Amino acid sequence: MWRQWLLGAVTLSIAVIVQVTLLTRLGLPGATPDLVVVTVVALALALGRLPGAIAGFGAGVLVAITPPSTTILGVESLTYMALGFVAGGLIDRRDRTVPITIGIVAGSAATAMFVVAVVDGLVGRTSVPWDRMGGLLVTSFVYAALLSPLVVPGIGWLARKLEPVKVTTIG
Amino acid sequence: MKSSRVRVIVVSLVVASITVLILDLRGGDGPLSGVRTVAASIVGAVEKGAATAFSPVTGLANWWSTVRDQSNQIQALTDENLKLSTQVREQANDAGRVAALDGLLKVAGVGGYTIVPAEVIAVNPVQDFSWTVTIDAGRNDGIEQDMSVINGQGLVGRVLKTTATTATVVLIVDSSSAVGARIAGSQEIGIIAGTGDQYSLEYQLLDPRADVRTGDALVTFGSKGGRPFAPGIPIGEVRQVQGTAGQLTRMAVVRPYVDISRLSIVGVVTRPPRTDPRDSVLPRTSAQNSPAPIPLADGSTPAPLTLGGSASPSPTGAELLPSSPASPAAGALTSPSAG
Repeated sequence: MWRQWLLGAVTLSIAVIVQVTLLTRLGLPGATPDLVVVTVVALALALGRLPGAIAGFGAGVLVAITPPSTTILGVESLTYMALGFVAGGLIDRRDRTVPITIGIVAGSAATAMFVVAVVDGLVGRTSVPWDRMGGLLVTSFVYAALLSPLVVPGIGWLARKLEPVKVTTIG
Repeated sequence: MKSSRVRVIVVSLVVASITVLILDLRGGDGPLSGVRTVAASIVGAVEKGAATAFSPVTGLANWWSTVRDQSNQIQALTDENLKLSTQVREQANDAGRVAALDGLLKVAGVGGYTIVPAEVIAVNPVQDFSWTVTIDAGRNDGIEQDMSVINGQGLVGRVLKTTATTATVVLIVDSSSAVGARIAGSQEIGIIAGTGDQYSLEYQLLDPRADVRTGDALVTFGSKGGRPFAPGIPIGEVRQVQGTAGQLTRMAVVRPYVDISRLSIVGVVTRPPRTDPRDSVLPRTSAQNSPAPIPLADGSTPAPLTLGGSASPSPTGAELLPSSPASPAAGALTSPSAG
């Protein structure tokens, strides 16, 4: 059990740091490739929906406390938690094909962005560029789709390696 | 075989050897030299043929030792090449950093700002909808909240939060950012607000009859005590004026001098200049004043760099209260007549 926690903590920490120090600085057009959401969903796919939800919560807290983030603590936590829970239990492990997996990951990234934008807009903390939202969502989807073949198999492999006995199945 | 016959053969062989020996010792063109020449030419030919026949084998051995040598040499050269090309690449990177630092020192020197140099180490993701970056200098380096952050191009933003070793900077293009600004060469003041778009800012004029033209340069007006904004820092250039003179609210679209997507080295203004540098810090094309000579600075120490600054303290320009995003109102101005 503790191995799952370790796996989640290590992969999410790496994802958050890589995101703010490398991916944001690449200057890619549109949204920033959301490695954190991709990692959360990959963990959820590998471990199940409850660990996925916990991983999402932890990732949200990590993202919010990592400088230079100025977001309200909790928005990302809730969003990522819901995504982890849904992604972990959406489709039975045996029915997952590569396109479905990529679709889940990419859709999650775009959804995360949209939900955070809506909440930010409602709270009025910052001005959300709604006129550019379409492009941001599309690029977010594409980047996450490109990241998922790199992240999802790796985390799945690590999860199997660390926890040979399947602890959770689809509940 | 009989022993007598053996004896005969041995003796005759010994005799023959001695004879040949003696003959050969005599030297010169003895009877043996001809025999030797013939034998040598025959054996030599055979040797030659054998050498040719064996050449692949000997060549292989030879080749192998050469290959070993060469592969060592190739390895050495590859290592050296890698080292050199890394150096070259680093040099290009260093040149960029030097240029950035140079620009920063120039601005700091001309404006008389005391700065702490820092490097941007992390950037907020786009999907956070806020433009903030982390720099690698914090409280230990003398950085406090609400200090101006500049680079060689102009105003970057202000310090929002600090830790012991890092600080979070909110950039001028963030939608929560508001800066008191003055049009260079005139007294027209207003407030520049971020739009969330990295290439445009909104400039709201306080005087609706003010004369604003495309191409006008804007500098910071300066806040009380230089926080959050020190005076005279270039901000950007007016790109488009909206509304006509006399209209209640007049806006202008301003393009920031700072390229947000390429921030590397920035400077945090730890102490504002004693006198308002007015328009002297602006890029040459739009500034009327020529920049003052740049004092030498020892950039190697991480300690605050004190640069330039005019000698005689004089009343500074009018002060704009720290422009908070909540109330960018005209009431914030204490004395709109600049010095």
